[in-house]
Amino acid sequence: MNAIEVEKLSRTFNGLKAVDNISFSVEAGEIFGFLGHNGAGKTTTIRMLSGQLLPTSGRAHVAGCDVITEQRRLKPLIGVVSEHQNLYERMSGRENLEFAVRLYGQDVRRVNETLKQVDLVDRAKDNVRTYSNGMKQRLLIARALLHRPQIIFLDEPTRGLDPVVGREIRRLILDLSQQGVTIFLTTHYMEEADHLCGRVAFLSDGRMVALDTPKNLKVAHGHNSVNVTLENGESLTIDLNDHDAGKQLEQLVSAGQVRTLHTAEATLEEVFIRMAGRELSQ
Amino acid sequence: MNPGVVAAITRKDVVDAVRNRYLLTALITPLFLAVLFRVLLPGPNPRNLLTIVVHDSANSTVVAALRQAPEMSVVDAPSADATASEVQKRKAVGGLVVPANFDADVIARKQPQLTVYINNGKTVFEQAAFRRLLDQHVKAAVKQPEPVRLVWIDVDKSATEQSGVAGGLAQMLLPLLLIMTLGMIGAMVVPLLLVEEKEKRTLDFLLASPASLKEIVTGKALTGVVYTVLIAGVLLFVNRQFVGNWLWTSLTILLGLVFVVAIGLFLGSILNNTMQVNTWSSSVLLALLAPSFPSLGLPAVLDTAMRFVPTYYLSEALKLSLSGHGFSRIWGHLTVVLVCTAIAFAASAWALHRRH
Repeated sequence: MNAIEVEKLSRTFNGLKAVDNISFSVEAGEIFGFLGHNGAGKTTTIRMLSGQLLPTSGRAHVAGCDVITEQRRLKPLIGVVSEHQNLYERMSGRENLEFAVRLYGQDVRRVNETLKQVDLVDRAKDNVRTYSNGMKQRLLIARALLHRPQIIFLDEPTRGLDPVVGREIRRLILDLSQQGVTIFLTTHYMEEADHLCGRVAFLSDGRMVALDTPKNLKVAHGHNSVNVTLENGESLTIDLNDHDAGKQLEQLVSAGQVRTLHTAEATLEEVFIRMAGRELSQ
Repeated sequence: MNPGVVAAITRKDVVDAVRNRYLLTALITPLFLAVLFRVLLPGPNPRNLLTIVVHDSANSTVVAALRQAPEMSVVDAPSADATASEVQKRKAVGGLVVPANFDADVIARKQPQLTVYINNGKTVFEQAAFRRLLDQHVKAAVKQPEPVRLVWIDVDKSATEQSGVAGGLAQMLLPLLLIMTLGMIGAMVVPLLLVEEKEKRTLDFLLASPASLKEIVTGKALTGVVYTVLIAGVLLFVNRQFVGNWLWTSLTILLGLVFVVAIGLFLGSILNNTMQVNTWSSSVLLALLAPSFPSLGLPAVLDTAMRFVPTYYLSEALKLSLSGHGFSRIWGHLTVVLVCTAIAFAASAWALHRRH
């Protein structure tokens, strides 16, 4: 069964189409990457799928709930980590989670379990305003996990974090996926999407321009060639479409001249630029 | 509507508000002023606050009404000429000379003259209280728009204000402080609670949670209710000797509370950030407070303008209920407040719907 099903979903703001007729589905337990430049419509899509914003047209079902007519049933089944660190900064980490637990009608004991899960037990009593960016991000994820959602929407969860904390968050995402939670992830970092996501969708100006596994996208849009670095420091590219490419490679390897050998497949970012006609940072 | 969700939001806001220095200041200002005035100006005689001297050979209905008023102590002067000296001798706030045939002249709409002596040795607040009470009682006793000509005479022009007699002052201050509490809640606390959620984007979290917009707004409104009940309760308790009619004073405050919460929700809906709230709240607060200030000889135009502010009627209802009056005297004022509350709620519902 699909965790998310989207059919011809659109959202217009004052005549401008923020999301334009997109359709896709996400399987239960999948990590699904939703990639696009600033203003591509990623956050608007998350807001519609999480019942915060009504679509202008189209339909979507999340965790089996219609996002237009079944918002009340939907919300306890999903967790949302916003791109903004929207925590109550005058409150402690524990108080933030206790408030969320009460909203979701959960047992307050769940707070301790979740604090342990994101390794914030020691700082739980401190005011959130004293937390580092990484700690705030972990607390945001903890808040989204409190009520054990089936699906979690992560909007740029590693943006602005140092590499070590970013790696921790990615590990947490993989753990969640292994526990069967469906992850809907938006990110600017193509390497992150490549590393984490089973499938990715590219969004450009509200329209979906590609949807496939990162590997298929890279193969489909990469060069059919290999880059060879020789022992003498010289580099050369061998086009695999040439009829003597195999022979040429074999000669170099048997002569012991090859230091490194790389396939020249495109990066996910290159694929995005090719398909969207612009860079992610634009 | 899920009561658990509403309670969670209210509980969070009640705790969080006192950690916000700006909100905390707004909340404790009326309490601070109440305590300050109680310490600086302890009232020696909380009941029968205003002593007045009266010469009323005609046993008029006006003086009969004054004798019934719980906030006044009426002393008789032996003659019209002795009234002014009796005012000074008895340290009364003022005196009143009622002419013979007064009631008959009023019925005949002849606008008879009432001579009023005012003791400049008393505080301006006591004098203002006397002026206001006299005006109210005359109009109430004689149901005509301008029933009499009041001629005011100063007893002792050289007298300076005396401080230390706080009865009248406290009686004037209590409605002011209660309106200030309501004003703070309506102009600052409730709008800030809403605006901060928008500004810090925590509203996105709330809207993605099981809380609906209706529950979020109700939670904020209830926070305003909790703080008003607490502060107004403390104010009334501290000044309990000045509360003439507990039931109607409480009901008036509750109605005022609903009114200011509606104003707060409207402001919170149309404003986007804390800066805007800070800018607008002072003006709104001033407008809400202005009618409750003692009228110290304001120009007629301003006095009339005050009647267009709903808190004028709230303030009047409070003064009357604090003076011991009940439904028969205050229902008109409360009706105006009720209508204004309905309008304010309709406006805030429209603004919230539009913004969402």
